[in-house]
Amino acid sequence: MDILYLLIPFSVVLVLLIVAVFGWAVNDGQLDGFENEAERILLDEDQAA
Amino acid sequence: MAEADARLLAPFTTWPDGPAGVAASQFQVAGMHCAACSGIIEAALLKLPGVEGASVNPASARLALRWWPSRTALADVLTALQSAGYKATPDVAAPARELRRVERRQALWRLFVAGFLMMQVMMLATPAYVAEAGELSPDLDRLLRWGSWVLTLPVMAFAAGPFFSGAWRQLRAGRLGMDVPVAVGIAVTFAASTGALFDPTGPLGGDVYFDSLTMFIALLLLARWFELGARHRAADALEAVAGALPATAERLRDDGTSERVAPEALRAGDRIRVAAGEAFAADGRVLAGQGWVNEALLTGESAPVAKAAGDAVVAGSLNLDGPLVVDVQRVGADTTAQGIVRLMQQAQSQRPLASGIVDRVAAGFTAAVLLLALAAGVGWWWIEPARAVAVAVAVLIVTCPCALTLAAPAAWLTASGALARRGLLLTDLSALERLCAVDTVVFDKTGTLSEERLQLRRHWAQGADADALLAVARSLAALSRHPHARALAEGAEAGCWTDVREVAGRGIQARDATGTPWRLGAPAWVSDRPDPAARLAFGCGACVLWLDLAEAPRADAAEAVAALRLQGRRVRLLSGDQPAAVAQMAARLDIAHWRAGATPASKLAAVRGWQAEGERVLMVGDGINDAPVLAAADVRIAMGQGAMLARSAADALLVSNRLLALPQALALATKTRRVLRQNLAWAALYNAACVPLALAGWLPPLAAGIGMAASSLFVVLNAQRLNR
Amino acid sequence: MANERVPGAPGMTYEDGPVRAFALAAVLWGVVGMAVGVFIAAQLAWPELNFGISWLSYGRLRPLHTNAVIFAFGGCTLMATSYHVVQRTGQTRLFAPGLAWFHFWSWQAVIVAAAVTLPLGITRGKEYAELEWPIALLIAVSWIAYAIVFFGTVGRRKIRHIYVANWFFGAFILAVALLHIVNGAVLPVSLWKSYSAYAGVQDAMVQWWYGHNAVGFFLTAGFLGMMYYYIPKQAERPVYSYRLSIVHFWALIFTYMWAGPHHLHYTALPDWAQSVGMIFSLVLLAPSWGGMINGIMTLSGAWHKLRDDPILKFLIVSLSFYGMSTFEGPMMSIKTVNALSHYTDWTVGHVHSGALGWVGLISMGSLYHLIPRMFGRTQMYSKSAIELHFWIATLGIVLYIAAMWIAGVMQGLMWRAVNPDGTLVYTFVESVKATWPFYVTRLVGGLMYLAGMLVMVWNVVKTVQAGKSERVRIPQVLAHA
Repeated sequence: MDILYLLIPFSVVLVLLIVAVFGWAVNDGQLDGFENEAERILLDEDQAA
Repeated sequence: MAEADARLLAPFTTWPDGPAGVAASQFQVAGMHCAACSGIIEAALLKLPGVEGASVNPASARLALRWWPSRTALADVLTALQSAGYKATPDVAAPARELRRVERRQALWRLFVAGFLMMQVMMLATPAYVAEAGELSPDLDRLLRWGSWVLTLPVMAFAAGPFFSGAWRQLRAGRLGMDVPVAVGIAVTFAASTGALFDPTGPLGGDVYFDSLTMFIALLLLARWFELGARHRAADALEAVAGALPATAERLRDDGTSERVAPEALRAGDRIRVAAGEAFAADGRVLAGQGWVNEALLTGESAPVAKAAGDAVVAGSLNLDGPLVVDVQRVGADTTAQGIVRLMQQAQSQRPLASGIVDRVAAGFTAAVLLLALAAGVGWWWIEPARAVAVAVAVLIVTCPCALTLAAPAAWLTASGALARRGLLLTDLSALERLCAVDTVVFDKTGTLSEERLQLRRHWAQGADADALLAVARSLAALSRHPHARALAEGAEAGCWTDVREVAGRGIQARDATGTPWRLGAPAWVSDRPDPAARLAFGCGACVLWLDLAEAPRADAAEAVAALRLQGRRVRLLSGDQPAAVAQMAARLDIAHWRAGATPASKLAAVRGWQAEGERVLMVGDGINDAPVLAAADVRIAMGQGAMLARSAADALLVSNRLLALPQALALATKTRRVLRQNLAWAALYNAACVPLALAGWLPPLAAGIGMAASSLFVVLNAQRLNR
Repeated sequence: MANERVPGAPGMTYEDGPVRAFALAAVLWGVVGMAVGVFIAAQLAWPELNFGISWLSYGRLRPLHTNAVIFAFGGCTLMATSYHVVQRTGQTRLFAPGLAWFHFWSWQAVIVAAAVTLPLGITRGKEYAELEWPIALLIAVSWIAYAIVFFGTVGRRKIRHIYVANWFFGAFILAVALLHIVNGAVLPVSLWKSYSAYAGVQDAMVQWWYGHNAVGFFLTAGFLGMMYYYIPKQAERPVYSYRLSIVHFWALIFTYMWAGPHHLHYTALPDWAQSVGMIFSLVLLAPSWGGMINGIMTLSGAWHKLRDDPILKFLIVSLSFYGMSTFEGPMMSIKTVNALSHYTDWTVGHVHSGALGWVGLISMGSLYHLIPRMFGRTQMYSKSAIELHFWIATLGIVLYIAAMWIAGVMQGLMWRAVNPDGTLVYTFVESVKATWPFYVTRLVGGLMYLAGMLVMVWNVVKTVQAGKSERVRIPQVLAHA
């Protein structure tokens, strides 16, 4: 299973990157509170220019 | 800038560039009905000199203002807004809200790091568990451990911080608090596993525990996350209280003129005039005028309360119709509103997981474990030096403080969340323990068992038809806004009365269709020979109708009392009111033991007396008159309103005014204690079983790891039963 | 970045050209991919249908079918919807429209190249990664363009909060890029021939790490993004629990990476690796079902809409199939179950319940919502045609998977039947013969599914003819967070 010498370090790096993305999300306020976010997409209907 | 001005602005302002720099103030804006309003407001403010920037968030109706108070006065800002058609109040809750936001983000980050990496570490650890002996080549095994180690590093660096800082604080204060065993456990486990990774044949042994370690940290952080949520929700709920003061108050000078001042400038003894639609700037007593007041910020009830001369009003409540002149009694930090805010701030800053008994147990436990590990290490040094450290480490790890650390918080937090949902906000979590021991519940009457509202109880007349007179009285009462009149009128239609006049402090008088003058009001004013049993009278000189009004008990009062008795508790009623009224209330609610006419001192003596007989007393009061008594009781619950909350330091606040929450709370407290004991018993059992094994060197790493995880999970899941 | 306060310049419009193009291409390639599927299904029942022509042989056409339905049909649907959703939820125009058009044409080039090379027998032999290295390079280039346009649009959004659907799309785009690069590592020896950088069971491990994550991110995460936008829009109700959708996203990310080995049970892959794959495939059940419940419960309180709205039928029923497949999958990854199912048609049944039931139906529902709006209308030309399509398709799916389940279990049982003396009871060819009627039934199911698709083509053509592609204004008064 030598391939794991590639896959495991690779996944470790990937996991750390994912954690970093989550950190960005927290910092940017993406996870602060979701009041109205679900409704927001329903508010606009396409209007011709 | 001037010291006094800075103090004035401080509750809702920060100076991001230092005291000499620009001020950043937060306001709540009222009157916004569309997103376009924000543009209007911002434009209006930007016209003022000294205003650098204004930003309005229409969704939350909050205004963030960047300005130079030295160039523009606060009053000018508010006037500009008023001219534009909007009202603004300083958002004193903003700094606290911001703090909560930061706290929540930090907690979420830590929880995610621990949880996400725990999953990945578990994946990397699984092969070692499932592989047969020899199936996993040593190199591959090492690679998987290395991966686990790398992924545990961020957990140690970012997520485990609070435990180490907490432990350090506790040690510096000279005690073995709950965080100490946790920090020791984490540090030892990590060090031992790291050593095992890089030097498997070395003194730290050859077993790694990264999966158990990360799971332990993740579970602890999960418990803290829920606790944070509960705390923040309570703070949010009471935030409305803090932000309700008006921007300015109209203070009446002795010469009859008036001036506009900030609420903070008021002093006890000032007289203020509160217009319709304005909020009261201080606690006080109505001197003149009558009208309706919205006290929702305290009681949660939006139904208006009638106020007339002599009635108490509370800072932050809203005057609904006529102007009132109020004698200021309490200002600033002494007001009810601020009292509640302080209470919550107190609860927020309180270390949530602190508790006498569990702390002591933890301290003893930690000491014992450290000694045992030392003994094991020394013992094995004699027998087989190579294994000494490994065994000592195994002892430390397997005795894992997991179950113990989580036992109490898991139970308490779940219980306090369940109680909060029923409107009972715990400010001291250890009250849960004390609630279990309660065998007597003592109620105050007015405002606690009864609502402030009055009801017509009895009407009688001499030489006249009482019922017919009552109907006439009702038709006159419908024209008055006095609370007694409203209680009498109860939706009756106004009759045809002419020449209607309300006389402050006396009642209402008018002429009927025949021109006869009638009076409705104080018995002494209506008749020369007032009936002492009457609260109100209605008459025209010749005939008089006597009326007795009584307080209405709360809707669920009888049920709550019955429930408490069913639980085997004594219920007592202790009131300062007249014996007749108290007896009547006691009869309605089926309370056998009651005392009337009690002064605060005699109330205190009564409670002390019962306690001397061995009773454990839960006192439920509205705080206004009960401060010393509340302080003496074993457990103190204050109703949602009350001017002296902070001073009475209640253990819990019944914000919903639902008395049924009390028997529910007592039942829940008992359940909680049971769950807590189960959790502690489990922790004890687990340790009793595993420590001898670890000491003998027989504990395989798999078992230690599973034990750590399982013990934590059991405790948390067991606590969830309290949610039902 | 606070929400933008400057209203869009007068006349600022969304860039829907690439959306339109991808949407129509999706419908076209859907028909092509399904037609090839029907053809090869027929071949399994009647092998003479290859007419002795090499480029009509089953072995060469199967990968054409899989690539066409996954990357051409599925891919174009994802690209159309992701470009649509990222603009609408961010209230901003597409970033670098020129690059988006390049993405469109290069992707069509990839599809055409596949359609040419695969029947010619030019293949790497790795499932869902058959395309040889020049095309693989083109895929990489096209995908990079896609990523730049998508993330660029996210970057210039006017709404601060990134709607959850975009997280799913973003993860799908990044994950597929990663998978493609790692699994595509080859040593080219000529223009149309290369050798994998990995060998033997190592290659198998990489291949199925790719293969399962392709399913997980391409066919699941991407389409979940679609689901989280089009179900609320069509039902005119917000997602049941927005908080749950966020948790769902992160929980899925947690676990998908390591489920790959379940494709390799009882192979040369070490036992422990197989066990790991099995355990985490089971763990995957929880987040998958969380998402399904969230989507279906969006209709809570409005179930009556299902009666009259065929598009909602497509969307909600797709979630039921999603739930079914994400339950079936973990079950099949249990070693004992897998001992029966591996290499049988049960696997094919599982794939198609997910592909036809989840991917197909959610795509169709989303396209039915999207296409009229791309042509200035709010409804398709014919609602009854949508209804007809739904019923034919659903019936077709049921026939298909029922046939394959029975066939699969039967095959598994036949292959493992041993006589008391240890010899096999059945020869292989006997099991093939016994399977034949199920191949025919499956063919009928597939034909029905294809017929439904043709109804869709008709409906789309009529809708396009009746509508006009006009520019849509970006709302001026911007909502604050």
